[in-house]
Amino acid sequence: MTAPALLHLILLPLTPLLPLAVFAALWWRRTQGMALRLVPWAPLPGLLLALLPDQAASFVVPWLLLGGHLGLDATGRVFLLLIALLWLAAGIHAQGYLADDERRRRFFAFFLLAMSGNLGLPLALDLLDFYFFFALMSFSAYGLVVHEGSPFALRAGRVYLYLVMLGEVLLFVALVLVAWESDSLLLADAGAAMARAPQRDLILLLLLAGFGIKAGLVPLHVWLPLAHPAAPVPASAVLSGAMIKAGLLGLLRLLPLGLVVWPAWAQVLILAGLAMVFFGVLVGLTQTQAKTVLAYSSISQMGFPMLGLGLGLAQPGAWPLLGAAVALYALHHGLAKGALFLGVGMADGLRERGMRRALTLAGLLLPALALAGAPLTSGALAKSALKPFAAGAPGFWPDWLPGLLSLAALGTTLLMARFLYVLWPRGGAAHPPRPSMWGGWALALGALILCGGGLLPVMGPVSAPGEPKLWGLLWPVGAGILLAALALWRFPSRGRPAPLVPPGDLLVPLEAAATPAARLLARLWSRVTPYSPRLRPPPGFWWHNLALLLSLHEAEAALRRLPVAGLAFVVILLLLLIL
Amino acid sequence: MSWSALLPLAIVLSSMLPGLVIFALPEERHRLRTLLNLAGALLKLSLVGVLFLGVYAGQDYLFRMPLLPGMDLVLHADALSLLFIVLSAFLWFVTTVYAVGYLEGSPHRSRFFGFFSLCVSATTGLALAGDLISFVIFYEMLTISTYPLVVHRGTPEALRAGRIYLTYTLAGGALFVVATAWLRALAGPLDFVATGILSGLDPALEPNLKIIFVLLILALGVKAALVPLHAWLPNAMVAPAPVSALLHAVAVVKAGAFGIMRVVYDVYGIEFAAALGLLKPLAVVAAFTILYGSVRALFQDDLKRRLAFSTVSQVSYITLGIAVAGPLATIGGLVHLVHQGMMKITLFFCAGNLAETLGIHKVSEMSGVGRRMPWTLAAFTLGALGMIGVPPLVGFISKWYLALGGLEAHQPWVLVVLVASTLLNAAYFLPILYAAWFGAPPPAWPHEHLGDARRETTWALLLPPLVTAALVVLLGLFAGAPFSPLQWVKLIADLEYSS
Repeated sequence: MTAPALLHLILLPLTPLLPLAVFAALWWRRTQGMALRLVPWAPLPGLLLALLPDQAASFVVPWLLLGGHLGLDATGRVFLLLIALLWLAAGIHAQGYLADDERRRRFFAFFLLAMSGNLGLPLALDLLDFYFFFALMSFSAYGLVVHEGSPFALRAGRVYLYLVMLGEVLLFVALVLVAWESDSLLLADAGAAMARAPQRDLILLLLLAGFGIKAGLVPLHVWLPLAHPAAPVPASAVLSGAMIKAGLLGLLRLLPLGLVVWPAWAQVLILAGLAMVFFGVLVGLTQTQAKTVLAYSSISQMGFPMLGLGLGLAQPGAWPLLGAAVALYALHHGLAKGALFLGVGMADGLRERGMRRALTLAGLLLPALALAGAPLTSGALAKSALKPFAAGAPGFWPDWLPGLLSLAALGTTLLMARFLYVLWPRGGAAHPPRPSMWGGWALALGALILCGGGLLPVMGPVSAPGEPKLWGLLWPVGAGILLAALALWRFPSRGRPAPLVPPGDLLVPLEAAATPAARLLARLWSRVTPYSPRLRPPPGFWWHNLALLLSLHEAEAALRRLPVAGLAFVVILLLLLIL
Repeated sequence: MSWSALLPLAIVLSSMLPGLVIFALPEERHRLRTLLNLAGALLKLSLVGVLFLGVYAGQDYLFRMPLLPGMDLVLHADALSLLFIVLSAFLWFVTTVYAVGYLEGSPHRSRFFGFFSLCVSATTGLALAGDLISFVIFYEMLTISTYPLVVHRGTPEALRAGRIYLTYTLAGGALFVVATAWLRALAGPLDFVATGILSGLDPALEPNLKIIFVLLILALGVKAALVPLHAWLPNAMVAPAPVSALLHAVAVVKAGAFGIMRVVYDVYGIEFAAALGLLKPLAVVAAFTILYGSVRALFQDDLKRRLAFSTVSQVSYITLGIAVAGPLATIGGLVHLVHQGMMKITLFFCAGNLAETLGIHKVSEMSGVGRRMPWTLAAFTLGALGMIGVPPLVGFISKWYLALGGLEAHQPWVLVVLVASTLLNAAYFLPILYAAWFGAPPPAWPHEHLGDARRETTWALLLPPLVTAALVVLLGLFAGAPFSPLQWVKLIADLEYSS
């Protein structure tokens, strides 16, 4: 075995294990201090692994779960690089951001667990490992969402957890069906199994919903504009930059991309992608909190790779190149969004004078322009890699898609302008950013610049776009900036204090509808059993006042009376005999 | 009779004899009593280890002693009995350590530990019983020896729970005797054989066999807490925490589930039972129990009561796995015998720690307790997440095989039941975890016993849940390793379907 292959074999398990080891060290008073200092460096094995030259090493552990299989392929490398970079940047940033937080040990405990799960995802090559890392990441991120303990954060956490549980069970059923059909737990066999499975539509629907929850698929996105802003800044950065990609990665791993032509599903995915793109922009423009604007921008941006998946289901022959373009888009968006979220923590740098102010402004403008797809940025690269494939879309899409994509770029530019506008510090006390926050931010920005230049090592095969059509890239951004400037000039007021559309959009009418229903049920409840104190649910429960359950308690009490028990016994006996 | 034949007997006696000695000990000889307890538990554990290696090497251990003409006491170690006996011997050891710590300084400890040992002897007897008649004998012995443990506290509430327990289990036991006698009269000796013994009988007897099957399931269903025969279990939670652990994880409930396994696999034979059409109704009852138990658990504020209803639900995973006839479902059901034991004993240990250390009995009192007792709550968290079936914990492995088994047997509704149960489990466990870790602690705990606020609790109370919680992770994470319960169960499933 050669030395690089050996290094791969060591780094593969170490990537998810090192964060867990640091997590374990947080538990003892003696090792706590050291562990807290080590937190930011825990993703280093993953970063190293992604940067090493390509190797076909895989780590097979038959005794792990039902056969563990870790390895790194081309898609996995792109995602691993993104995830490791972002966690590293967020970890460094968090050292400064949370320096005065009393509960930072709890924060970093969840931070490390979620990091381990997220870093493991691109390495998992079998269903169960993937599902395990996905669950580890999802459940631990709850601790990040509710960290601040405000009512807003608690509500966000509750909604988040509901949807995580829903996603978990949807994926469980989907994975069981895939595993049953493919008779193998390898992800490599999953696509082929799905292609031939008789219940493929059901499986695809389940996968789309299960992973779509994580990726912000409208209308399953409702947790996202609540949870991403609720978390502390570094956690938002990884939630919106890295963890959101887990849903996309899951779809990339499991869908039969490049194997079959499913025009109907291609249409569905293209429509879903476009819906995300424009919904995110439109609702995002109404928001008044910088982080909420960014969260809606994430929904919008995740629409592009979703659209790419739809294109892939229509033209299997093009998938090898298209897949690389989708992965590139994920990389670009992750870095840009991570840099933007970390930038929210740096906004007070805009109050300072001279060099720092200029640097802060540049650091905010760069990722914003990249997201909008301005020329010479990673956005331009990613978009022009994706665009040629629109020609292979089914139906009338080839005529419409280019125009729609330009419109989307215009919308994104406006959204970014909105972000900078609401972020601009006004009044209040200033908290100048600490040095480590600068460090983390600089890392994310540096990676974004490298990505724009096509210089990241994973980008070898993907960074060959056609001839850059400068005008096509330039006009939406230019028009967006002009429009934004016009709006600022025409309506210079600071705007409404409350957003036009409340964050969580669709969730709000849903909750509003649920409240009277719950009140009605509660009234029914108290009338039927006014005296039974034991039926009163524990605090925090209000939603399972199901009328169906009313009789259960009575039945249970009756069952405990002996004559009834004896009678029931005989009756059941007779009933079963008849069966 | 050779030495190897005496090994099963020695395993049963290794807890019975210390038990009998402990009865005779005066109350204050606690050091000798503890020594006897632990020596017995360790001896049993090592004997079981020898037995395991022997059976693995292909040796046959059979002990036969005539009781009445035509009726023998048979102890026989086969693959299935090893599954149960390794579990109960190990958990007994852990529970003994825990019980010693839990009952420190409380009255009537000789009585308690005496019956505790008898209870475990009966359980090992059940595991090793080689025919249905021996099984009945140990089953009744278990019923009787558990009663004093349930009423140990002597409060009116405990006595009432004990009365309910006795009514249910004695009625079930009586039914069991009748059914066994009937079956013995029809079919002759009832030695357990993998793939069953009844398929060769005269087809004219089939209606009788169906009736007997229903009787047997009713009798065993009392202990396995199948709805509507479950009402004794939530009441019995007034017993001390080690007894609850014993009831829910090691002995009583498991005895019922294990009995159903024996009847379905080794008396009727899974294929014959399926051909008689007996398994479909059983699967429906199990599925209903799973959902009913979970729904009821939602409403309990008393922590142990909530856990008790959770047991009602989770034990029926085992029955469901048996009743959805098919090798993969069998694997899921049988392995859950071990997995549910590990998870539930962890949860009850933790509940006991909270009650013993801080006086917390209710879910609504648990706010912020994670800061005061982080290790206990970490173990509790693992147990609860395992119950929900989060990978890689043991509950997930069971659920995965049950779901695959449902597909294999062309019964996709099993998936629906599993999904609903997962969501319900999350609905009654996650709020507890939330309150414990993220809630604000009260100014004072309800009743803090431990004088030293820097220590979490005593070692004897803390170590057992940590060990079992570690197993909840390890047995799931390394389910593919040789000698994991999963691999052993796969071996058993191969035997049961070999015909």
